[in-house]
This record gives sequence, structure tokens and C-alpha cells, in this order.
Amino acid sequence: MLFVPIRPLMADFLNRVLLDNPLAIVVVVSLVVGLLMVLLFGYTSNQKAIKVAKDQLKAHLLAVRLYQDQLPVVMRTYGRIVRGTGRYIRLAFMPLLYVIIPITLLIVQVDRYLGSMPMQPAQPFLVKVQTAPDTLNDLSLQLPAEMAISAPAVHVPADNEVVWRVVAEKAGTYNIDVAAGGQTFSKQVVVSPDVSRLSPTRLRDRFWERIFVSGEPALPDNSPIQAIAVTYLPRNINFAWLEWNWIVLFFVLSMVAGFVFKEVLGIEI
Amino acid sequence: MRFRGVSCGADTLVRQLRSRVAGRSARATLVLLLLVVVLFPLPGHAYAGPGAGFAVLSSFWTLFVAFLYSLYALLTWPFRHVLRTLKRRKAYGKAQFKRAVILGFDGMDPELAERFMGEGKLPNLAKLQQQGTFRKLRTTFPAISPVAWSTFMTGVNPGKHNIYDFLARDLSNYLPFLSSAEIKGPKRHWKIGKYSIPVGKTNIKGMRKGTPFWHWLGKAGIFCSVIRVPVTFPPEKFPGVLLSGMCVPDLKGSQGTFCFCTTRASGDKFREGGVRIAMERDGGVCRSYIPGPEDPLAEGSGRELRVDFELRPDPERNQARMEVDSQKFTLKVGEYSEWIPLKFKAALGMGAHGICRFYLKQLSPEVEVYVTPVNIDPGRPDLPISHPVTYSIYLAKLFGPYATLGLAEDTWALNEEVLDDDAFLAQAYGNHEDRERMLFDALEKTQQGLCACVFDTTDRVQHMFWRYLDDDHPAARNVPRDQRPNIIQELYQRMDGLIGRVMQQIDDDTLLMVVSDHGFKSFARCVNLNAWLHQNGYLTLKDGKTESGDWFEDVDWSRTRAYTMGLNGLYLNVKGRERQGIVEPGAAEALKNELRTKLNGLADPASGKIGITGVFDCDAVYAGPYVDNAPDLIIGYGDGFRASWDSVMGKVTEKIFEDNLKAWSGDHCIDPRLVPGVLFCNRKIADEKPAIVDVAPTILKLFGLGLPAHFDGKAWTLAPVVGK
Repeated sequence: MLFVPIRPLMADFLNRVLLDNPLAIVVVVSLVVGLLMVLLFGYTSNQKAIKVAKDQLKAHLLAVRLYQDQLPVVMRTYGRIVRGTGRYIRLAFMPLLYVIIPITLLIVQVDRYLGSMPMQPAQPFLVKVQTAPDTLNDLSLQLPAEMAISAPAVHVPADNEVVWRVVAEKAGTYNIDVAAGGQTFSKQVVVSPDVSRLSPTRLRDRFWERIFVSGEPALPDNSPIQAIAVTYLPRNINFAWLEWNWIVLFFVLSMVAGFVFKEVLGIEI
Repeated sequence: MRFRGVSCGADTLVRQLRSRVAGRSARATLVLLLLVVVLFPLPGHAYAGPGAGFAVLSSFWTLFVAFLYSLYALLTWPFRHVLRTLKRRKAYGKAQFKRAVILGFDGMDPELAERFMGEGKLPNLAKLQQQGTFRKLRTTFPAISPVAWSTFMTGVNPGKHNIYDFLARDLSNYLPFLSSAEIKGPKRHWKIGKYSIPVGKTNIKGMRKGTPFWHWLGKAGIFCSVIRVPVTFPPEKFPGVLLSGMCVPDLKGSQGTFCFCTTRASGDKFREGGVRIAMERDGGVCRSYIPGPEDPLAEGSGRELRVDFELRPDPERNQARMEVDSQKFTLKVGEYSEWIPLKFKAALGMGAHGICRFYLKQLSPEVEVYVTPVNIDPGRPDLPISHPVTYSIYLAKLFGPYATLGLAEDTWALNEEVLDDDAFLAQAYGNHEDRERMLFDALEKTQQGLCACVFDTTDRVQHMFWRYLDDDHPAARNVPRDQRPNIIQELYQRMDGLIGRVMQQIDDDTLLMVVSDHGFKSFARCVNLNAWLHQNGYLTLKDGKTESGDWFEDVDWSRTRAYTMGLNGLYLNVKGRERQGIVEPGAAEALKNELRTKLNGLADPASGKIGITGVFDCDAVYAGPYVDNAPDLIIGYGDGFRASWDSVMGKVTEKIFEDNLKAWSGDHCIDPRLVPGVLFCNRKIADEKPAIVDVAPTILKLFGLGLPAHFDGKAWTLAPVVGK
């Protein structure tokens, strides 16, 4: 009861500070992933062997310094460093087998929100349709009322592709339809100032590619159309006076978080 | 297995996870998915979490740093080589060997070595004797390790290096202090609220004078690796690497204070070397702590830092689960843990790092845990224990944590029966194996120059197990002769094996020398010389006292002419020198002669054996600028005798002679003429009566260096090698 009056405020705060803020999303995801991955790494790796391998590498580095006047020792030690590095990488990458699937799926999902920006009203964008050669001249684009074609379609026979330039009048989530061979196939287009889940392309077949790049159901198997793509602009995030691709920022922040958590949890990485 | 011999909950979880996931089909699926990721790459796939990120980054960083180091070494090598060549021309131009390897076996006895060689049990030493040299090596006065090894390294008598015993006496209060090093905290403290914050560094001052021979070699551009040679703490700068040995303190600043944690209601305090800590039961958990150094923020309060630990007994499995400083491990009864790092935390983020091992002695009826003295952590030393500082870190990273305490084998714990024979041997040989690894690493790294390594195991094991060798030792009378273990013979065989492995590592251009600082004899009877001085009117107790507590507690100095403390030194209470001295300096000589006459030949009334076979005037055996710090007389006890435990600690008892019932049953702090060391060499040495003081000049000469004028030793003559 006590919290009832402030719930809308909290929701608004979460929306504005977190959900509509790509930087906040990256920070939160990085912290959570940093913690989980360090924990997972700790449980799935041979911590003792990793510690020994790291310590021996440090010892060899010190040996190069301690015995720097003895070239044969330095050369032998460098060989040991190379071998030791290989051993360390092997040990550190065993847990990779456990983390690579969830991390990859997570990155794919987050990439749908943060990888590109939705279209803005009055901002022209391209719709590209890749089709079979015999239907290249048989394609038509049907738009909702809030959208309009701003330039004639361009046919690119070399790529079996037709390209339209389209513009939306106002924000919203729309379906555009592409007609070919008597059938109609739709594709989602998001026009919004907020962070939204985007699917840049809709594909036929190509199962693995669909998993990684498409957020929509596959085009029917009998469809003459192979792909319908919308050219969302890539998103850059301002952080520390620099423009970052979210994956690069995620890489840096999750590393920092991982470094902090590994110290706190006493896990060898 | 995460810890050797230890399992834990995390391990179990990991095993379960692995068993579930690591099946063949699961692996196949994972590999397939991995292939998909590789075949259909996205930018994000290059990164799979911070673990892999760290691995990649640190690997490249390691390789990059190593590459830079190596490049630097490679590019600057020609210049350094030219410089070294110019420096070395003198040395190597006349050097008889490319490399000298000196193995120091503290306390190896020539008579035992000869006996075991004769029985065919030491083939490698026999080979050295046959092809090269085996001699008795004359030791120092007195025959005590810090004295003898100081002479070994400096080439001078104790009058020039200032080490006469483990202990020296403070002339102002007759109390002892460690003779080899002085450690003082920072001089200034800032008082802020309840804290007293130390400002500045801990001041460590080496008391040994003289210059070790590896410094001369280093100056000439000859690289030296020196490992665990006694009295090298604090480590001194020189062009080479050195790991300090005997006299390195534990984290409490003592020479080794073990800790015995028990649920037993009470018990006597240990005579020396350890502390008993109560362990409290709370249901199925026992709690205790490890005492550490004094709190640096509570100067002078005597408040100790401590690390708590918990133990959960599992009597059915005869083991216990331990949690120390957030580390968890399982320990079986009769088993040592690995070295466990500890952090003794003080306020304001200050603290000290140490390592220790736990030994679970028993779980029922009472829980008893022995904890080794807390050693300075070699991987992050709070005090310098090597030169350069990174050398101890290098060894710790390469081989794991190791004992750094000077007297690392806990003889006191065996003496006080906290450890039994097997537990002591396991500890001693554990340390020994670490040092063997260090030696072989040094041999590999030092292909040219000097490699010197001292092993303490020979000394400690003989001290503690001579009782099984002596047919009639009081400490082993209840052990039938046919049930006595051959511990000392096995020790010699082990050392012989080590020599064999070293011989395989060296070529014809390497000089191998095996030396010991002294030999060994039985220590069956204790002599309380303070009691003799008391009974003969040289030492007077306060009125009404018939005995005195430790450190002359009840001695009336105004009526005392002579006293003894430490192992072999006897001091006159000289006016103007000692604070309450009464012997006129002019009368000292006559008093010394009187004491010499009376003590020389002192017989044990129980057996008629001679308890003191020689009393040596310091003016006759020492010469040098530090003779004033020497004892006035050096007592040479006879075979089977030694200063009593009480006498060493400045205690006066009623009995002069008594049985030694402690496990510490062999000794060498007797007449130095009775306990020479050994000298084995892979070359013929012409000199018939070599002495330990000759080692330093011999090594310098072999590397073609001139001998400093202050040396007391003389270089041996090595027979020329055919074809060289």
C-alpha cells in the first residue's frame, strides 16, 4: 500500500533512466554479465591449474629480467613464455565452451535493441527486397497510410534486388507488404524515438543466419522472395566523450566488472 | 582436483556440472554450436564474456611484455656483453673453471659419511672421494652454524665478521638479542585518534660484518646464484640473485613460533618456540585463531593481529573441514595442509601477509591442530628476504609458496611433543624438496659463475634423531634397539642421491664442492655452566635464592664475576663494560686463566666422562675489530655433552649435570676440534687440513681474482686437470 503512490514514478524513472537509455542498459547488462560470467568461469574452470599457469608465466617474465645478462636463459625463457601462454589460453578457454552459447544468444538479443536505431518520422530509409530473377519485375510494395514512397523503385538485376526509398510520417510500429507472384509478405518497420526491438531483415531459409540477424518469422518456403531488409542506422552510444558501438562498450565494461568481481569473489581468471 | 589431497563443495559442484555437461553428446552439441558461431560470425561472437576477454588480453599482454623484455635483452646484449667481457677478462682470463657449484649440507658429519660410504650406502659421495677429494673440514670457534657459515662466506674469523652465536648479550641489561640482524619499526608515528600510524620504513640492520665472496665475484662480472646460505638476512645488494636462509624471522619477528590450538582445558606453556591457543567448541564447529605480528597501529600496546579459523570435525572420515581467511579445505588426521596464505588485517587497510601450514593432530577425544610458524609470504614479502626482492617472488611463482623462515623445520614442536617423528620428517623433507627445486633451477640458470645452496635438513634431522643412533641416549632408552629407525642413514642416502643428480647436471668445466659447517655428536648430558659458576662462587644469586629464572632474573650482579648465556660463550662481568660489572679490567686476564684451569677437564660425576674438553680464550682464537663483542671464553664441551637448555637461557639451577631427555638429541656446539665438517670435491685438493675459512679465498682464486688482504683463510691448491 505504501508504495502505491510512487509506483508510477518508479516506473517512469525506470523507463526514462534505464529502458530508454541505451547507456544504462549496456552498463546494467555488463555488470550482470560480468558477475555471472565470472561465477560461471570460476565453477567451470580448473582454478588451481589456471593459477599455476598464470604464476609460472609471471615467473618466466621475472626470469627474463633477473637473468637478462644471460642470453641463452632469456631465449629459453621466452620459449617457455610462449608455451605457457598457450597452456593458459587452453585452460582459460575451456570455460568458453560453457559460456559461449548463452553469451552469444544474449548478445544477439541485446543487439536487436541496441545495435541499430529505429527510424525517425520524416527520415527516409531503404527497403530492399531480394527475390528470384523471374519475379524481379513482378514486385510491388504496399505501405500503410502513415508511410510513403519517396522515390521510384530501383532494380538491381545483378543482385536480384529491388530497392525503395520510404519515409514515415509519424512514430509507430508498422507492417509493410511486398507482393510477388500473387502472394504478399510483410515486414516490420519501427519508427520511434525510444529504444525498440528491431529486426533489420526477414529471411527465407538460412536458419542460423536468421537466428543471429532476424527477429521475425521466416518467409514461407515457397516464397519467391528471399529477403526483405530495412536499413536501420547503426547506433552509437556516447560514453566518456567517445562514441561507442554497444558491443565494444559492453566488452570494456563487462571486463571492468569482471575484474572487480573476480577480486571480490577470489576467482582466478 | 582443485587442491592436492583436498576436496571442497565447489569442487563437488564443478564435478557434478562437468559430469552432466561433459558427456559425449553434450560435447558434440557444444562443438557443433561453436562451429556455427565460427561459420556465421557476428562482431559480438569474438567476445564471449570477461573470462575469455581476460584470457585473450592478458595472454597478449604477457607475450607483449615478454617480447619487449626479450627484445631489450637482445638489443642491449652486445653492449652488455662487451662490458662484461671487459670486466670479466681479468676473472675468466685466469679462471680455472667456468662454473663452481657449492652444496652446503649443514652439519654433515665426516665420520658418519665415512662409515656409510664404507658400507656402500653413499655411492655418489664415494665417487667424489675416489675421483676427487674427501677431507675433514676444520670449523670455527664455536662450531655453530651462523658463526661457521659467516666465516665460510667472508673468509675471515669471527673477530672480523662479528657473529659468535645465535645470540649476543646487551651489555646494559644482560638480556640477549639476535646476533645476526636487528629489526626496528619506523621511528616516527603519527597519533591520530586511537591510531598510532607508523611513518617511514621498518629498519632492518644486518649485524654480520665482512664481505661475502660472491660480492667480489659479482664485482668482477661473475654471476652468482646464492640460495639459503645462513646469515644472509637482510639480503645485501650484489650483482646476482640471493635467497636468504637461517636467521630470516617469521611474521612475528621471532625465529619461529608455532601455534598449537586445542580444545584441551589447559596445559603448560611451552618452554620455548610455541604458543598454546584455546580452541572453543560451538556445536559441530571449533573456533580458534592464529596469532600474528603486533598491530602496527597500536604501537607498544602489545596487541597482536590475528586470523580466525574454523574447523568442522568429521570423525567418521577421520578428517575435518577447515575455513581460514575465506579459504576452505579438508584435512585428514595426520596430514599437512598446503601452504595457506594469510592476511593479518589491521585498521586503515594495513596488515601483513604470511603463509602457514596446518597439521591436524587428532580429532578425539580432543581436537588438536598444529600450525607452523607464520612464514613471510615469499610471493608478497613484507620484509625483504631476497636480492633482488623479485627473486623470492620469482621462486614463489615458479614453484608455489615455500618456507622462508630461517629455521623452518620446527624442532621445537617435536621437542615439546606437539609433533611426532613422522610429522616432523614430513615437514622437514617437504621444505627440502622445495629447496632442491630451487637448486636445480639455479643450476639451469647459472651455466657460468657461482651457484651456492645450503640445505638445513642434514642439521635439523641429525639434531632431532641422533637418539636412535646413540645406543644409550636418555631420550631413546624406551625404544628397543632393533626397533630404532635408520633415519640418519636414510638422510645421508637422500643427500647422496641429490649429489648424484647434481653430478648429472654439470660438465667437466664445473667445480663441485660439498661442504658442511660442522659435524655432529650425541647430546646426552646437559651442563648448566651457570650452576657451576654459582656453586664455585663466580655467580651470586640474590639473597635467599638457590636458583634463578630465565635471563638471570635472580642474579645479584654486584657480586657476580662471570656468567654464561647462549651455547658456548662465557662472559666476565667486567667493570666499565657490563652495566653492573665488578671485575676490574686488569684482573680479567687472571680470572680467565683461573676459569680455564678449573673448567678444562670438568668431569661428569655420574659417568666420570669429561664434560668440558677445552676452554678457549677469545684473544687466542679471534683477531679483528669486533673481538670486543666476543665472549671472553669459548667453552668446548666433550663428546656427549652440551650447554643445558636452562643455561643457554641464562637460568641458574641446582644441578650442574643432568640427562637430556628431549628429542633434540644430537649437537655440535661442543669442542670444535671434535666436530669438523666435511669437504668433498670433484677435483683433487692438495691441502691436508683444509678449514671452512679457506673456502672464500679458494673460490676467488679459482675464478682468477686476487685475494683481499684481510682474509684469514688461504686458497687451496687444486691438482691440475690433464688436458686443461
